[in-house]
Amino acid sequence: MYAIVVDDIWKRFRIPHEKRTTILDHLAGALSVLEGERYSYEEFWALKGINFRLGNGESLGIIGPNGSGKSTLLKLIAGVMKADKGKMEINGSLASILELGIGFHNDLTVKENALVYGVLMGLRRSEAKKRIDSIISFADLARFQDARFKNLSSGMQVRLAFSIAIETRAEIFLVDEALSVGDIEFQEKCLDRFRELKKEGKSIALVSHRIDLIKAFCEKALYLQNGELKSFGPSEDVVSRYLEDVRHPKPSVNVATGV
Amino acid sequence: MLILTVVFSFLLRVSVPNFPAWLLIGLLVWRFFAIGTSQGLTSLIEEPSLVTKVNLPRYLIVLSSNTANLLGASLEFVTLLPLLFLLGVNLTPYVLVLPVILLTEFLLVFGVSLLLSSLTVSYRDFNELWTLALQLGFFLSPIVYDSSLIPSRYLYLYSINPITRLIESTRAIFLQHQLPSQFDFSIVISSVLLLLLVGGVVFRSLEGRFAEQL
Repeated sequence: MYAIVVDDIWKRFRIPHEKRTTILDHLAGALSVLEGERYSYEEFWALKGINFRLGNGESLGIIGPNGSGKSTLLKLIAGVMKADKGKMEINGSLASILELGIGFHNDLTVKENALVYGVLMGLRRSEAKKRIDSIISFADLARFQDARFKNLSSGMQVRLAFSIAIETRAEIFLVDEALSVGDIEFQEKCLDRFRELKKEGKSIALVSHRIDLIKAFCEKALYLQNGELKSFGPSEDVVSRYLEDVRHPKPSVNVATGV
Repeated sequence: MLILTVVFSFLLRVSVPNFPAWLLIGLLVWRFFAIGTSQGLTSLIEEPSLVTKVNLPRYLIVLSSNTANLLGASLEFVTLLPLLFLLGVNLTPYVLVLPVILLTEFLLVFGVSLLLSSLTVSYRDFNELWTLALQLGFFLSPIVYDSSLIPSRYLYLYSINPITRLIESTRAIFLQHQLPSQFDFSIVISSVLLLLLVGGVVFRSLEGRFAEQL
């Protein structure tokens, strides 16, 4: 049984040369087409035929240079965007931590915000109420639970967001760079919690630039470059392949960058 | 309100019994629609991260904006009751129809908001266009004048405006102590259904590209 099945996924973005965001722009554009100008755009394939399967209870590290499609892949799995081609199967409830702190409101208290955010992350109101104490204690914010959100330090805000996301009790977790927030103590705490989740048979897919973390924590890794799947398999192998590419760039890359 | 009362009842001599109460009702019904739809219109573009970073049924974002507006409007109508009493209006059990009217207007606002909010994602100047349309709509509805002023050959066209019907219905229950007419009822219900359908279909077909455009 697989938690995530990604089958030949393609995702295209269009970057228009001329940005049209108003009706007026579109009218003007329509007129210029009559005069022989073409509506042109740059086509950009952010993901090109990605294939992989992640088993239940496995964790996956997604690595690759900036702009290689890591976050796009995560967004497609999370269902925020739709793929242009290919099939995807998600077996189990999903908690996606793509960005921390969405929907937080400055003037509500920490407790109220925890409720709102919990519901946004897919908890029922009653469940969110039940878990609120464990959320706040995990975030170490018990003393501040009635403080206004805006008076927290930004690290505390992020800790709160992360604690709620972890407490959603989903079966599959998608995490985008979120582990790098908070102080070291909190990071360790999060990792411990993730290890517990793994023991409970939950699957985790995380995007990170922290290679050591991926090696230590994930048994599988996926290496993306320019939207292509370079390598997928045991994390040790994939990470060493990535490091190899970084340290000894291939000649073709050199030509492209002109170095 | 005071200014409008002075201008229209004394200067323009609008001949309606109990003009302040009459005007107040029209204004509140209009405000509910105007504020609801303009807030609904910007609901998606104001909170892009709710669309791009959370997998949430998107119509909920519009619905929550509309619901907040419903609460605001309901409070306005609650404060209307003592005001009407002070203005010498007899409050009868027909007042109990008000929640039904508010609910149908809410559905109307929701249908329009679905349509406008999804279009605004790709066409940002819908915001300005809608503000203009609302200004026009204000004078195309019997808020500051009575619909008897409309020449009879345009009256048919004028009367099928659902906002006109909602205003007339609300005035009927408060001032004439009667139920909204069958005509009011059928126009409002059919436009609510039509707008929910159109809004829903447009929203659904555009929703897949929201995340890329915001």
